[in-house]
Amino acid sequence: MSVQPIRESASQPAKPAARLTQLELEKIAPTRDDRLFLVLSIFIGVLSGLLVVSFRIAIEWIKILTLGSAPHAGQFRLILVPAFAGLLVAALVQRFFPAAQGSGINQTKAALYIYNGYISFKTVIGKFITSALAIGCGHSLGPEDPSLQIGAGIASMVARKLNLSRQRLRLFAPIGAAAGLAAAFNTPISAILFVIEEVIGQWSAAVLGSIVLSAISSVVVARWFWGPEPMFRIPPIELRDPRELIAYAVLGVAGGFAALAFSKSLGYLRPRLRALPRWTYYCQSCVAGLLVGLIGFFGFAQVMGPGYEALDQAMHGQFAWKLLLALALLKILATTLSFSSGTPGGMFAPTVFIGGMLGASVGSFEKLFFPHLTGTVGAYALVGMGVLFAGFLRAPLTSVFMVIEVSGNYSIIVPVILANMIAYLMSRALQPTPIFEVLTHQDGLALPSMEEAREESELHLEDALRPVDVPVVKGNQAIGEVALILSASHASAVLVSLWDGSWYAVSMDELTTASAASTRDTPIERTLPAERSPVLFPDMPLENALRYFPRWPVLPVLNRASRGKLEGVITQDDVLRCYQEH
Amino acid sequence: MFELRSTLTPEERQQRQKLILRDTLALSSLLLIVIVLFFVTLALFHSFTIHRQRLAKRWLARGEYALHAGQPLAAIDALRSALAYAPDDETLQIELAEALAADGRTQEAVAYFNTLLESRPGSGMVNLQLARLAVKQGEEANSLDHYEEALDGTWEGDGYTRRREVRLELAQYLIDRKHYDRARNELLIAAGNAPDDINVQLQIAGLLESAQDQANALHLYRRALQHRPERLAALEGAGRTAYALNRFLQAKKYLERALNHPEFEKQPTEAQAHFRDMLADADHILLLFPGPELSLRARADRILSNRKIAQERLAECLNTKTAVLPELQALADQWQHLPDKLSLLQLEQDPQLEQTIMQLVYQTERVTSQQCGAPMGDDALLLKIAEAPEAVEQL
Repeated sequence: MSVQPIRESASQPAKPAARLTQLELEKIAPTRDDRLFLVLSIFIGVLSGLLVVSFRIAIEWIKILTLGSAPHAGQFRLILVPAFAGLLVAALVQRFFPAAQGSGINQTKAALYIYNGYISFKTVIGKFITSALAIGCGHSLGPEDPSLQIGAGIASMVARKLNLSRQRLRLFAPIGAAAGLAAAFNTPISAILFVIEEVIGQWSAAVLGSIVLSAISSVVVARWFWGPEPMFRIPPIELRDPRELIAYAVLGVAGGFAALAFSKSLGYLRPRLRALPRWTYYCQSCVAGLLVGLIGFFGFAQVMGPGYEALDQAMHGQFAWKLLLALALLKILATTLSFSSGTPGGMFAPTVFIGGMLGASVGSFEKLFFPHLTGTVGAYALVGMGVLFAGFLRAPLTSVFMVIEVSGNYSIIVPVILANMIAYLMSRALQPTPIFEVLTHQDGLALPSMEEAREESELHLEDALRPVDVPVVKGNQAIGEVALILSASHASAVLVSLWDGSWYAVSMDELTTASAASTRDTPIERTLPAERSPVLFPDMPLENALRYFPRWPVLPVLNRASRGKLEGVITQDDVLRCYQEH
Repeated sequence: MFELRSTLTPEERQQRQKLILRDTLALSSLLLIVIVLFFVTLALFHSFTIHRQRLAKRWLARGEYALHAGQPLAAIDALRSALAYAPDDETLQIELAEALAADGRTQEAVAYFNTLLESRPGSGMVNLQLARLAVKQGEEANSLDHYEEALDGTWEGDGYTRRREVRLELAQYLIDRKHYDRARNELLIAAGNAPDDINVQLQIAGLLESAQDQANALHLYRRALQHRPERLAALEGAGRTAYALNRFLQAKKYLERALNHPEFEKQPTEAQAHFRDMLADADHILLLFPGPELSLRARADRILSNRKIAQERLAECLNTKTAVLPELQALADQWQHLPDKLSLLQLEQDPQLEQTIMQLVYQTERVTSQQCGAPMGDDALLLKIAEAPEAVEQL
């Protein structure tokens, strides 16, 4: 996941001489960007879908050609292939595709927040080749976040070719990312949520429609090839006995600890390997491949590659609980080795694998020792996937929807929410910094923290509100009388209540000017311009008030239920004080 | 795609037209790229799918071969590999679980079958496999439940035959556990539903014999003998069960036919000797038995002869004992109440006396066998007759 400020991405794409400037484009075709945005979202979805399908086929072909059609313990090629592949991949990454290193999520975030949405085509090619080689040859990594980056790269390239505005260009990376992830996981909703939760960090109406369009398009393409089934067959799932929730809670706790172990091991090993001399970068992947191969050679070939086949087998009760637990622990070790060595590939599949194995282990244990409980091993495996997703990747919303989307069964929602929340809260308590931030910091970048962004509490007008301490007059009161009231109160303004329920905050200067232009008996409302004080309510964001202060010295805050009724007032000082205090 | 705006200069309009043209070209190129990429991906996917199917078949064949060759470990690896390429193949899944069970990984196999059962509730095949695993694990109640569920479960295509096979397997299990009554019930249901197939009849008859239901077994063997050509197994079974039911005349008839069957000589020597001994015993019994079909003289002659055998046996038995047991003393007293010397004529004229003597002969053989150990020779044969004298000449 190393995001390096590399040459190609640091520079802006060169503008061909024949091309128009953004200002010119704005003038001659002001709605062009908006319209192209939606059309291109579909194209990006389709292209990403096709590339992701090809990417998966490439991984499978490489696996069959190098590790054989049925890799199993005791085959020497299990040691040799990942080691040699590591050597080749490291050379390719170091010499030709430095931006292909690691996972794609932070790189996509970097493109969004640092490089104006720019991801080079070379990065896409590099990511495709090196990730397919590494994963196909047995490194314990997954194809999802490379797919995400491939999608983002394609989106960036297409947007650049069409000379879209910088603002649009920046938004295309997450659109492509959602398409790539959706096609890779065959779960459009989860992909959309993940991109919103982890890449963009907020629900933005400007981009949501395009993200949905591209994700749906890519999934349609992927399903055209692979069919509607998820990566693994889902056994029937049903929660019959509420007592079983205790077992799911135990799974949540186990998942919380597993997420902690996984995060800690990555947080420990990766910076140490990065700190080694640069020449070692050429052989770190090789050594990692050798060690992962040794795990496979000595009886646990399931941990090699993404591991979806083994996960499928685990979901269908083909392993005993002890083996499942061993596989979960060894996968943590293998993925830590592969990922920390800088081998291109992602952590989605390993996370799902570890969670699935852990869940299946708990489920099998339960079946063995508490046979009266009815939960299936598959249900536990599925919940376990969500648990690690919530605990390790710290994407709680995505984790819930992913399980529901993969299983197509809403009856599992209660155990999923329970177990995921336990794992998530445990993970937060034990490892305050999310793994993506840990990796970002290791790479020397300062990308926005999505978890913090989610948890930032917005200030509202009610937080700065104070009681009405300025004079309040009726619109039909004489201007002379109002002037007297205002001068007697020493307030900065007087609030005038008008016949239609609206308000006008009159400052002393304004009142003086109005008095000079009319008689003392003139009702004040006749001297006021057509403009009215803005309508504000206590629940509105505090920042909404700021733009009115140059014009209005004091702002009335109204009650939503009773038209024209004052809740209080705020001034610029109140707003600033509120910001300072929070 | 673009709104008309009257404020544009002619030059800007020209630029806008160029822009429209360029965007159209760009989108067309994009469409073309999508189409080309689609067909490339399709070709890749097609070749990949075919290759996967080939691999699935290849590994399945290897797995089945290994399973039949008694190499469950190799079979597990091969079948797992096959499943990776054809994950929805039900037969493959069941074979894998069987291989796991054959390799002694019963826990894994049970877990696997339980998961299969969850996805196919009521599957007869999966329940049968679970029943077999429960048998291996010595879980009688569990195995019986799964056998019952297999009988009531769904089977694909050949459900009728498979249910019968399950019932026979269940019966065998019940016999092994010595639950003969329940086994007999299952076998009678199976026999009632069985087709007129000699192999099935012989199989059920054999199991009925094991379940100690000789009468129904004999009935089935006799039904099997209605098929032509006569099967040696049916003749042997009929002879054996008739003999066990003390129907020695009937046993003799079947055993003689068995011994004359062209395939009899191909039997193992021990089996041949066993049937020959059985026939010889049946012959001898029929010579000892004073049947109602005999002439009065011959009958009286046999009774006197049997009396002598029984009295000698009693005398021998009494000699071996230091203290006379009440049962033996009672027998001796009963013999003393009978006339010491009897002529053939006396017997011929007194059927009641014949009856009394033969009852005493049978009682003597029964009591002496209990008190002095298993009899030999004629005593042993008389004891057999004593078990069911009315059956000896029953056909």
